[in-house]
Amino acid sequence: MTRRSAKTFTGSRPRTYASVTASHEEEDVSVKAMSWIREGELNLIERLSANVLKAGPVPKHVAFIMDGNRRFARKKHVDRQEGHSQGFNKLAETLRWCLQLDIPEVTVYAFSIENFNRSREEVDGLMELAKLKFLRLLDERDKLEKHGVCIRVLGDLTLLPLDLQQLIAKAVVATREHNRCFLNVCFAYTSRHEMANAVREMAWGVEQGLIKASDVSEALLSECLYSSNSPNPDLLIRTSGEVRLSDFLLWQTSHSCLVFQSVLWPEYSFWNLCDAVIQYQCNHASIMKARELHQDEQRRQQLEEDDHACVAELLRHHGNGKPADGPRRQEAVAEYAVRREARVKDFLDALRNKRDSFLTQLADSQATVA
Amino acid sequence: MALVYELVWRMLHVLLHIHRTLVTSLRVLLRNWNGQTWRRAVAALLTPASLAGFPDSQKKLVVEISKRARGRCSRPSGCLVEKLPVHVGLLIVEEQPSYTDIANLVVWCMAVGISYVSVYDNHGVFRKNDTLLLEKIVRQQDRLGLEDSKYNVEFLSNGNTVQQDQIVSGQPVVNVLSPEDGKHSIVEAARRFCRTVEQKEKTSKDIDVPMFDALLRESKNIPDPELVMKFGPVDSTLGFLPWHIRLTEFVSLPSHVDVSYEDFLVALQRYSTCEQRQGK
Repeated sequence: MTRRSAKTFTGSRPRTYASVTASHEEEDVSVKAMSWIREGELNLIERLSANVLKAGPVPKHVAFIMDGNRRFARKKHVDRQEGHSQGFNKLAETLRWCLQLDIPEVTVYAFSIENFNRSREEVDGLMELAKLKFLRLLDERDKLEKHGVCIRVLGDLTLLPLDLQQLIAKAVVATREHNRCFLNVCFAYTSRHEMANAVREMAWGVEQGLIKASDVSEALLSECLYSSNSPNPDLLIRTSGEVRLSDFLLWQTSHSCLVFQSVLWPEYSFWNLCDAVIQYQCNHASIMKARELHQDEQRRQQLEEDDHACVAELLRHHGNGKPADGPRRQEAVAEYAVRREARVKDFLDALRNKRDSFLTQLADSQATVA
Repeated sequence: MALVYELVWRMLHVLLHIHRTLVTSLRVLLRNWNGQTWRRAVAALLTPASLAGFPDSQKKLVVEISKRARGRCSRPSGCLVEKLPVHVGLLIVEEQPSYTDIANLVVWCMAVGISYVSVYDNHGVFRKNDTLLLEKIVRQQDRLGLEDSKYNVEFLSNGNTVQQDQIVSGQPVVNVLSPEDGKHSIVEAARRFCRTVEQKEKTSKDIDVPMFDALLRESKNIPDPELVMKFGPVDSTLGFLPWHIRLTEFVSLPSHVDVSYEDFLVALQRYSTCEQRQGK
């Protein structure tokens, strides 16, 4: 029975799910279905294809908008909860494929702040599903340690029920030190909230006297986002045929490869993933070029801003704005930049401590029994 | 073994490149062939004593459709498309821009009733050559005989803002955008807010999404684009208005060079059939 279920879950054909939903008599199967880690190997053809793809550039960070759970449920005539559950199983499988393709970091859009607008029943159902998943995650701590999986949750956790917040905090704190691969789950998230929150954090830094308003820059804003511990995604995949970003990682994906696929998320296959990676490889050179152009422009702007700020500072302190000659001015600006970077480093350390202690306190607090 | 995989990988990408080139050439061939037949059919429909020649029949078609679009269109079947975007972004991710073709696209947008059109490339080339673009747009309008005062264009470049009432009054706006209007503007707005906090006029707790949105629109009031038509082979937004594109539909077209009115209409049609659930 175990062997059969293992074969069922490592298959990459969409038909797998029809057989899963049919086999309700196997409790063992459904429990296995909830796991975050899918043990299993690729078959020969999949392995060969993976090796071919890995000969070229492979994205280091892939983001998924896992769309299509409800449409899948309608198509298969099962209820929505089942659709979401299958969607979660597909996530676990996709993580394994990513690891086998040497993609160490994955970010997924699990629950948007806009999703709170759905029916009370569906939202409660999703919250319950999330609680079960995070409880399961805590049970599988050993497996996560073995595979070095670091789980992070991005979003405004304060919008969630307290018991779910505590579970999430426990899961994040438990896997904090792992560093082989990273799964970022966007929960109670929208990109605009994230950006506004980053501005709030920088304003907090100004209030605390850690940084000045003139220190605000594109790089600093990026460091204040929920995703500050991750590089920007190289590849964003959206399933189910919709061609919009729906308020997901708008800042971080400005120079990412966007791939829109029509397959429904619960039916996602290894070959769909390979297709997306190939598209990334086809776009790789142009996107790298565009990124470099943007980074050069960023550096130029930073130099200009340092120059202005330095001159303004000299004016305030010494009464005269510009140092007389070129080299003296350059020296003054360089010194200013060093001081700015020191301020920014202290601010970011303080921000990290604030976030870490929020999570640690939440993780340690007693769950209020409903 | 690694060498074998690398060889296969190279072959795969060579094949893909050949496939893409073939598809592009076929598309051009097909359009030229189709174009002749289609134009003759359209010309026959619109003007019984049809004149030969591409520019005239296209001109008649655009004018005809713009009349229908501009008029009160109560019957959905009589309308050009079911749902029209208010703001369309033309995102050019190709190396060599063709100002004539972009001018065509802008004029077609205005002809079907789109009131705000933005033009973007990630090198800021259009911003640098904005007068050239405006000239081309005016020339294309004249060519198509759209000299009606309704088509006077409000042309924006480098941050001159448009107030809300100007959009409502129906005067079309063309805005030339560059990466500066994207992340850079967001950073500027953040800096402005932090300065008010520094001066103790506001606190960090005052900022939220609606407030930051208003702050951004203080200096450059660009409406959120409902539709972005992306022209070129790069599958990325390349820095186009990150804050504004949260619900934008992206329609990709292979190239803006020699883009046809039919392609443009097909892209609009695809937008009009999409369904936005907005999280629900």
